[in-house]
Amino acid sequence: MRYLFVLTLLVQALFAAKGYAKDKPIELVVAEPYLEMRSGPGRGFPVFYVVGRGETLVVLFSRTDWYKVRAPRGQEGWARREELAKTSFASGEPAPIPPYPDFTNHRWELGAGYGVYNRQNLVTTYTDYALTQSLDAEFVLQQALGTIDNRYVATIGLRHTFVPEWKWASPTVGLGTGYQTITDKIPPKPLETRNQLGYVSIGARGFITKRFMWRLDWRSYVIFTKQNANKEPEEWKFGLAVFY
Amino acid sequence: MEIRISSVLLAAVLLSGCSWFHRSDKGPKLVVAEAPQADPSIILPQVERRAIKTPKIKAKNIELGAYFGALSIQDFGTNPLYGARVAYHVSEDIFFESFLGRSKGGQTSLEDVFPNITVVDKSGRRFTYYDLDLGYNILPGEIFLGRGRAFNSALYMTVGIGAVKFAKKDQFALNFGVGSRILITDWLALHMDVRDHVFETTLTGRTKNVHNIETTLGFTTFF
Repeated sequence: MRYLFVLTLLVQALFAAKGYAKDKPIELVVAEPYLEMRSGPGRGFPVFYVVGRGETLVVLFSRTDWYKVRAPRGQEGWARREELAKTSFASGEPAPIPPYPDFTNHRWELGAGYGVYNRQNLVTTYTDYALTQSLDAEFVLQQALGTIDNRYVATIGLRHTFVPEWKWASPTVGLGTGYQTITDKIPPKPLETRNQLGYVSIGARGFITKRFMWRLDWRSYVIFTKQNANKEPEEWKFGLAVFY
Repeated sequence: MEIRISSVLLAAVLLSGCSWFHRSDKGPKLVVAEAPQADPSIILPQVERRAIKTPKIKAKNIELGAYFGALSIQDFGTNPLYGARVAYHVSEDIFFESFLGRSKGGQTSLEDVFPNITVVDKSGRRFTYYDLDLGYNILPGEIFLGRGRAFNSALYMTVGIGAVKFAKKDQFALNFGVGSRILITDWLALHMDVRDHVFETTLTGRTKNVHNIETTLGFTTFF
């Protein structure tokens, strides 16, 4: 009986939370002569309905550059970002369509790519946070796959972009530190499996389109070992990323 | 008279005591005269700034799901496969996708003919992979079911890099795939995929590229 009571309470709480979480629908008024609604979120889908000037539509959600909208008579379709940006709230405020992130002033980057590290194939992923327009903090996690061993490399570093206003290609330099872990494939086992390392890098970055960008990097590492000499492998890589 | 003057002086000293530590060149009497007086003509505005909260349109660009199917591991037969996938749609054409899959290699023909030969021991037959892909929706469109139903769909291509772990060894792998995405609802999609994982191996004695083709069926949700 007690369990039933608790269960009822939980279910009620769930529904209450659901009701609370439900936002007010976003209603926008068409200001242009008309707004086209397509049957799918893409340039090739046919226009099947048109909402006239002064009519109110409900915006449901967005997918890439398309917005799912509901017309006054209940038809649902997809509106282009550029067209929906010309609508406004009934109060006259502009539609809440955020502009594309400005490449020169973006904050976050999330990317992946291919490279060669120590003559091994390299799979690399990275996250980048802009401290200023030209200085980034960079976190990299990568796996180098060779014939003799595999290495995981994790680094944290700083990167300076020389001319951030150069949109299509701008040179960069970097400096950082991290760790490398080696797992052997073919005996003998490596003398050390875990080492700290440092690196310097030169590279370039550039804008492709919308939220899309590229990066090219060359790095020179120093791997600190307990033997007589440190190891100094090199790496180059190319990656694609999205930025916010 | 003297008492009166001294008491006035004492009062002045006491009053200026507060400003003693911040004393300037000016005398203490002047400090008394500078006592702050509120100007009654100034009205402090008590209007609270109204926080205007513009509602946000929810973006549904992330796709998360699972798939299952069959993986043909070269030389090791065709075996069941399962995995998870996550995608981020950058534009109506381009998306990033990542896969994590798992299967198990079967018997090679050699092992079938000669039962006491073992190419890979039992624990090494686990086939695990991850992929980082770039996808492109080449043929977007609609699929019709009967008269009254239409589903948005897209035929897409993916190309990517990753790693395959087989026979207890991680190998760098390239992968190429073609798939079809059918949106059953706005948030639920059905995927049918064919993907090839190519990597170099020396498992059978000589170095060669092996093709491991999978056919899968999966579901994803958008959020």
